[in-house]
Formats: sequence, structure tokens, C-alpha cells
Amino acid sequence: MEAIACPRVTSVYLNNYVGKNVTIVGKVLELRGEEALIDADGNVTAHLDREAHLMVNNGVQIIGKVQPDLSIKVLNSIDLGTNVDYSLANKVVEISHQHPSLFHYD
Amino acid sequence: MSSYGGYQRTGYGAQGGEDGGGFMSGSQQPQNSQSNEKGSFRDESLRPVTIKQIIDCKEAYPGADLAIDGHLSKQVTIVGQVRSVTAQSIAVIYRIDDGTGIIEARKYFTNGQSAEDVPTYAPNTYVRIFGRLQTYNNKRHLGVVAMRAIDDFNEVSYHLLEATYVHLFLVKGGSLTGAGAGAQHDGNAAMDAGGGDGMFVDNGYGAAGDPQAAANARLGSVSRNARAVYKYLATLHGESAHLSVVKRNTGLSENDILAGAGELLENGMIYTTEDDETWAVLDM
Repeated sequence: MEAIACPRVTSVYLNNYVGKNVTIVGKVLELRGEEALIDADGNVTAHLDREAHLMVNNGVQIIGKVQPDLSIKVLNSIDLGTNVDYSLANKVVEISHQHPSLFHYD
Repeated sequence: MSSYGGYQRTGYGAQGGEDGGGFMSGSQQPQNSQSNEKGSFRDESLRPVTIKQIIDCKEAYPGADLAIDGHLSKQVTIVGQVRSVTAQSIAVIYRIDDGTGIIEARKYFTNGQSAEDVPTYAPNTYVRIFGRLQTYNNKRHLGVVAMRAIDDFNEVSYHLLEATYVHLFLVKGGSLTGAGAGAQHDGNAAMDAGGGDGMFVDNGYGAAGDPQAAANARLGSVSRNARAVYKYLATLHGESAHLSVVKRNTGLSENDILAGAGELLENGMIYTTEDDETWAVLDM
């Protein structure tokens, strides 16, 4: 079937996913027009699409393509509100990389 | 509630109106003396999975029920984002994406329902779906029994971890670190966690003391044969034993012992002494 997986990653994994689509969960630190700075176990710059409605200090999940400079071109984003356990989300990323048979297509 | 209307169609009624369907893989196992028993009720366990697991899972033979990790899985629960909603004459079709893959979930209409009676969700909403695995025209999809939107994003994290936990529990036979820790406090918990194949149930070496507890937690990740080898070596209090001695005392074949010892070496739990086929427990 479709192999359209968007692996869950944090900032530290970005190097391995240049040119690929990924899912990132993090906290919005700054909004600068069409750019956002997101903390996902380290800072990630996201180039937003028109439909993005992010709020500073809220959690966000972005799905997007990793650029050569390790920023993300956002294809899809959802606001997660303030009640997000980031350490848990980072743990999920870690676990998902330990068990690729459940999570990743490679 | 309209979203529960699917119960009648999906076979619950035919099974005598059991109100089951809860998460039973843990609580049922201790009662089954044969862990591979093919009881139909046992297969009704509701299992948390990722969509990739559904896409990857194999039929034992054409037309058979789908099995994930070798365990028949009819009922599953998934968490994912709604990518599209399409209303058809007999069902609404949701495309659900959880980052590991995409699958169709079909909510069939019952009792003269139409598309207006079935909840729709805005694109990208996270939902939890309880459903039954179905194959139609070689295409796998999920027959929705119930679904709801997710308000708290942490449930998404929780679901992915739970799916991983259940996968590991079924593949490695229980007694993961978490279960091992619980066993120190509660003997019954150890029985539950150990299941049919768990080390706490059948070797009595379990809850003897704290140093062993640490070792036991690590043993959770190795095979049964490796556990048997370790268990024997641990009785020697630091002395080493040759393959032939281990063979005599465990009753395992040489190949099994070598494979088991390999696992233990990899985990740093034993070390080789005089030669490659003589081992001793690495004290921690």
C-alpha cells in the first residue's frame, strides 16, 4: 500500500531526513511572519504555509519537508494547545526509532 | 449515540451480546494454559496498533483472519489524523494517517442512517477509532465500531507507546522492565505480566532480591534459551562453565546454548573465560 510515512523526529534527527517528510511535535517559541521557531528537543526553524495558525507558547505538530539547511517547509500544521507533555513526545520519537518495524518505512 | 450503531453489524450481536471488547490480552493470558489456544473469544482482544502494523500484517492463508506479530487480531484501536472524509451510499470513508501510514476507515450506515447521521471531522483532526480489521478486494480497511475526536494530544503519544508496549509484550513474552519492577511489589502482578511464557512464572528465580531483580529486568529482552543459560551460570557464583557442562545441566542443545550465550554476551551479562565456549556471569 502507500508508503507515505512521515517519521516522527526531533531536531537532533533532522540530519538524517534531508529531503524527506517528517512529523515534528514541539513548542512554538517565536513567530516571525511566515517563519516560526519551534523547540523540539532543540530549535527548529519552520517555513509556514498560508493556512498555519500557530500561537506562541502553544504546542504544535508540523508535517513538512526537511530542507538542506535543516529548516522545515511546512505542509501541514495543527495547534495542540498548551497541555502538551513535550518530554513524552520526545520519548515517542526515541521509541519510534528503536522500533522501526512499527513506525518507519525505509 | 449514532457512532455506536455499528455494534449490531459488526458481529457483537451474533456472539450472544457479550459486552466484551475491552483490552483483554493481559488479563486473559494467565488463565490459558496453552498460550497458542485458538479460542475465538481470545481473538476479540482489542489491540492498540500503528497503521503500519495493519498494512504490514499478513494473512495466515487467503481468507484467514489477519495476524499481527503472529497473534490473530480482529479488533484494533488506532489513533490518527483524518485526511479526508468521503460519503458514499452505504458508508462514510475516512482516510486516517498516523505518520506511519494511511488506511481507510469505513463507517457503515445502519438502520436507515445516512451521511448526515455520521459524525464528520475537520481535516487533520486527531481521532481515536475502535474497529475491526477487514479485507475487501485485497484492500485492507478498518470497519469503524466507534470513533471520537481526541482533545488531549498526549493521548496520541500514549497510544503510540501503548502500541509499542503491546507489540513487545507479545513478541518477547512479557516481563519487560516495567512489569519486572511491578513484580517486586506484587506477586500477582508478576503472574499477569509473565503470561504463559514469562520467566517469573516458571523458574522461581524471580523475586529473590534486588541484584537479581536488575538482572531479571535485563533478561526480559533475551530469548527463553538465553534465560535458561543465564539461570544456570548464575548458580555457579562467578565460576565459569564450559558448553558441555551447560548442556548437561540445562538439557539444551549445543546450538541453542551457543545462540543463547551469544545474546547474553551481546547484552554484557556474561563473559568468556578460558575459551569461546566457556562463560561466567558478569557481576554487576
